[in-house]
Parts: sequence; structure tokens; C-alpha cells
Amino acid sequence: MTMKKLLRKVLLLDLLQGLSLTFRYQDPKEIYTEQYPLQRPEVAERYRGAPRLNVNPDTNETLCIACDLCALACPEHLIVVTSERNEKTRRKELTTFTYDLSRCMFCGLCEDACPTDALELTQDFELANYTREGAIWDRQTLEQGPQPTVYKK
Amino acid sequence: MPQWLQSVVDYVTKSNNTPGWYADPVASAIWALIYIILIFTGVSIAVIAMNWLERKILAHMQVRLGPMRVGPHGLLQPIADALKLLIKEDIMPDQADKVVFWLAPVTIVITAFTVYIVIPFGPTHAVTDMNIGLLFMLGVSSIGVLGIIMAGWASNSHYPLMGSLRSSAQMVSYEIAMGMAVVSAVLMTSFKGGGNFFRQIYGTGGASVGTLSMIGIVRAQEAQQTWFLFKFFPLGLIAFFIFAVAMVAETNRAPFDLPEAESELVAGFHTEYSGFRWSLFFLAEYAAMIAVSSIAVTLWLGGWMRPFASLHGPNVEIPNYWSGGAIDLAFALVPALTFFVLALFAFIGTVRMPKHRAFRVQTIGLAGFALALGFIGLVLLEPHVRDRVQDIFWFSLKVAVFMYMYIWYRGTFPRYRFDQLMHLGWKFMIPTGIAVLILTAALGLGS
Repeated sequence: MTMKKLLRKVLLLDLLQGLSLTFRYQDPKEIYTEQYPLQRPEVAERYRGAPRLNVNPDTNETLCIACDLCALACPEHLIVVTSERNEKTRRKELTTFTYDLSRCMFCGLCEDACPTDALELTQDFELANYTREGAIWDRQTLEQGPQPTVYKK
Repeated sequence: MPQWLQSVVDYVTKSNNTPGWYADPVASAIWALIYIILIFTGVSIAVIAMNWLERKILAHMQVRLGPMRVGPHGLLQPIADALKLLIKEDIMPDQADKVVFWLAPVTIVITAFTVYIVIPFGPTHAVTDMNIGLLFMLGVSSIGVLGIIMAGWASNSHYPLMGSLRSSAQMVSYEIAMGMAVVSAVLMTSFKGGGNFFRQIYGTGGASVGTLSMIGIVRAQEAQQTWFLFKFFPLGLIAFFIFAVAMVAETNRAPFDLPEAESELVAGFHTEYSGFRWSLFFLAEYAAMIAVSSIAVTLWLGGWMRPFASLHGPNVEIPNYWSGGAIDLAFALVPALTFFVLALFAFIGTVRMPKHRAFRVQTIGLAGFALALGFIGLVLLEPHVRDRVQDIFWFSLKVAVFMYMYIWYRGTFPRYRFDQLMHLGWKFMIPTGIAVLILTAALGLGS
């Protein structure tokens, strides 16, 4: 053992180093814990959470053209799209859109398939529900997105 | 004040400024009782506060928040915990030795609290002044080991038995090192004329050699105008260091908390205990921590003396650079200022409280807390109270530093293995302790 090592051991420098580290960590600025309902976490941009059916913010009309590509892309076949031909404009119009979240694995293939960016997996993560039926979202829920209680600090 | 009450007060307060030596036995008994009640409530409150502080400080050291929900910043958490413990079902293992199982926690609590009767919180603030005070303390606190063995044996279960054997082995081993350190401090009380010097200063008391009386030990530091921590540098420091390590091992705290090795022994000797009986163990553990910290403070950190205290005896005055009217007054104002600062923090907390309806009770509670702290600060400004209480303040402050160190160690150091613990105790602490003792004696020959 060299002299330096021996001195370190006798003077307990390593222990003091550890003590100083824990002492510095007491600074309230270092605290990493988030107080979840009061303080909402910032989810990564690429996070794939609750699906949303986008609407045109100006006209409040859905962007969905009822092409059924998402339902075809879905490996779980959990999307059901129904539509109706509008006789006047000769266009397909969306009637219902069902999305079974209980079977979804958030692979994101549906949003990739969507040609109009109508279906999107958002950063909302509060998907808990009291019933199994509640996990099957209809068109209205998909357009609104989940609405958790907001707590203020 | 009515006549009879006045006469009772006069009767009781006829003291000669030494605890346990009042005008007559009845007055002594009354004062002893008052101090016992005060100390019991004080220590219980300190344990509750310590419970909260430990969880909070430990959490901050680990970059967590700790309790936040019950009361502002979890201030009421210990009360919630205590309630939970008291309401819990009282479980006694079927195969347990019923009487001993019940006696074990009681034994530990009694020993932990008995120790307090000789602790001097101030020159006149103690239940009694025994001439064998230190020996009494070490002796009584050693009986705590018996309680641990009883708990382990009576549970009639593997883990508690192994845990109790482990912790008793640990406590017995470290008691030797602790004893060596203590003896070297006691030896220091005999220097510079020892007891003769006391007699010269105070007229009475003190043998011609050193003293084991807790008050006498602080008086000796007062007379020698140094804390024993700095005496014969670094000898006093090394002895103090040995004691500081041994006292952590004695109280079975991290990094020496081997009896509570979860992976091997579940919770050690109190595995089978729950509810109220478990809370007695908890109370005793923290009371014992405060007690050994007070021994360390009394022996090496000058007990109730403020930093840079000068000597004010009835017959002798030894002023020093840090004494004199203004400086004495400045030091005397520190206790009140401390409470004002605490009150300020509580007040800032009240102002920054959310204005939501759900927080109203908490806000009112915190405001009341701030007011209480401020009121204590105001009371401490009053000259009579100030002079009587500042000894207690300095003593408590020094003990509080030790309590913080306990938490700090727990937040920093990984646990020792059992053989490493024994290695440290027997092969390092005890020889160093003996060497320090011999060197202290040799250096003491000259003075």
C-alpha cells in the first residue's frame, strides 16, 4: 500500500467525500420526484398514447375521409369504420369510427397509414377506465380525447 | 398569586443551584418529578420530530420528496403513523413466551428513559446529580441488551433469535471501545488539579481526583476552559471519534444496522412485534440515540456551555477573549433568534400555501405553528427566561447536530458485513482506544 492510499484510509477521505455528496444532494433543487396529479409530466414527443381523430379547427369537420386504410393496417383489427355516400357531393362521409383501446398495442401503424393525418396517437397517457366497455372509444371520444381532472398546485 | 402558592413556590425553589440538592427531600422530590415529566414529554416530542426529520432529510439526500400529503410538507405524518400503530391489531405469536414477550419492549423503554435522569441539560437542569452519573448511564443503557435478547428469545422464531444474538454481540463488543474512549475523557477531568480546582471555584463538591458526575464533567471542561474534544489535540478528537462510531453501533443504526438485515434476518429481533409493542421499540431506539448523543455532548462538546464560554464561578472569574457584556448578550439572544427564523420559515410557508379550499385547514394549522414558534421566541427574549433556558438551548442544539449526523450516515454509508463490523470493533477501535487512554494519562502527568 502506498503512502497516499494509507493516508486516504486513515483520514477517512473516501467517507468524507461520500458525506459531502449526500449533503449537496439535500438542495431542494435536486429533487427529481414529480407530484403527479398536481405536476404533470412532460411526455416525449414521439410518445404514442391515446388515439385522436383530428377535426379541422376552422370548420369543425372531421379530417377523416373514411378510406378504411387504418382498419386495414391495424394488426389487431380493432378499428371499425363505417361510412355513407353523400348523394349530393358524391363523397364518402364518415358515420361511426370505433377504436378498441383494450386490444391496442400502440404500434402506430394506423397513424402511418392515414393519408390525411386524421388519426393520430397523441401524448395523452391517462387511459384508465372503470369498465371494459369504456376502453372502446367511439367517434366522439376520439375527437375529444381523454379529459382527466386537472389539479392545481 | 395566593399566599399558600407563594409559600409553596418559595419552599420548592430554595435551592443551592445543584440539581438534587434542594432545601429538603420533599422539595427535591417535587423538582425531580417536574423534570421527569418535562424530560419525558420533551424526549417524546423529539422522537416524533426526529421521525419526520429522518424521513424528510433521508428523502432529500436520495433526491426524493419524502412525506408530502399529511399536513403541509407531511408535518402531521408522524401523528398519522402513531395513530395507525395504536389502532393496529395486537398480535402475539401463538408459540411465544407471553410474559417475556410483553416484558421485552417495556424493559427496553424503561432503560432508554432511565438514562435521562443524570443527563445535565444545564448546570441546574437535571433530575439529579449522581456522583457516579456516567457509570450509571453506561450501566443502565447496557441493560437494554437484555431487553433485545428477551425479545429475540420470547418470539420463539428463528429470525428474531438470530437477530437478537447478532445485535447483542455487536452492542457488547462496541461497549468496550466506548468504555475506553469514555475513560480517557473521565481522566481529563482530573487534570489541572481536578476536583481541588472545583472546590476552589465552587466552594463545595468534587473529589480531589476526577469525577464521574455528568455535571462535574462539564464543570471540569468549564474550569479547564476547553472542550475535551480539543484537549491534547488530537487525542481528545480520536477518543471522541471512537465514541462517535461506537455509539452508532450501540444504537444499531446504519451503517451498523445489521440486526435489521432484510435479506437475511427480516427485521431482526423485533420481527414478530407489531402495533403498540413495536412502537415501544421504535420509541426506545430513538430515545437511546438521543441519550448516547447527550453523553457525547457532555463528555467532549462541553455539555450546556455555549461556544467560547468563559468561567463564572461564585469565587473565581476566568474571562476570555469571547466574553464580556456585549458578546454574552449576543450569544444569549441566539435561542430566541433561532425560533424567530423558524417562525419566519413557517410564515413564508403559510403565505405560499395554495389558496384552494381543500388547503384551508392546513394553512390555518401552519399559521398556528408559526405563531407558536414566534411566541416561544418572544418568551425566550425575556431576560429571566433567557438566562435560565439558554443552557438547555445550547445542549439541545449540540444533540440535534448528532441526530442529524445519524441521518446523514444512514443516507450515505453502505452497511458493513458482520465480520467487518467485528474486525473494526476488536482490531481497530479497542487498540486505538487503549492507546489514546495511555497517551492521555502520560500527557496528563505534566498537568
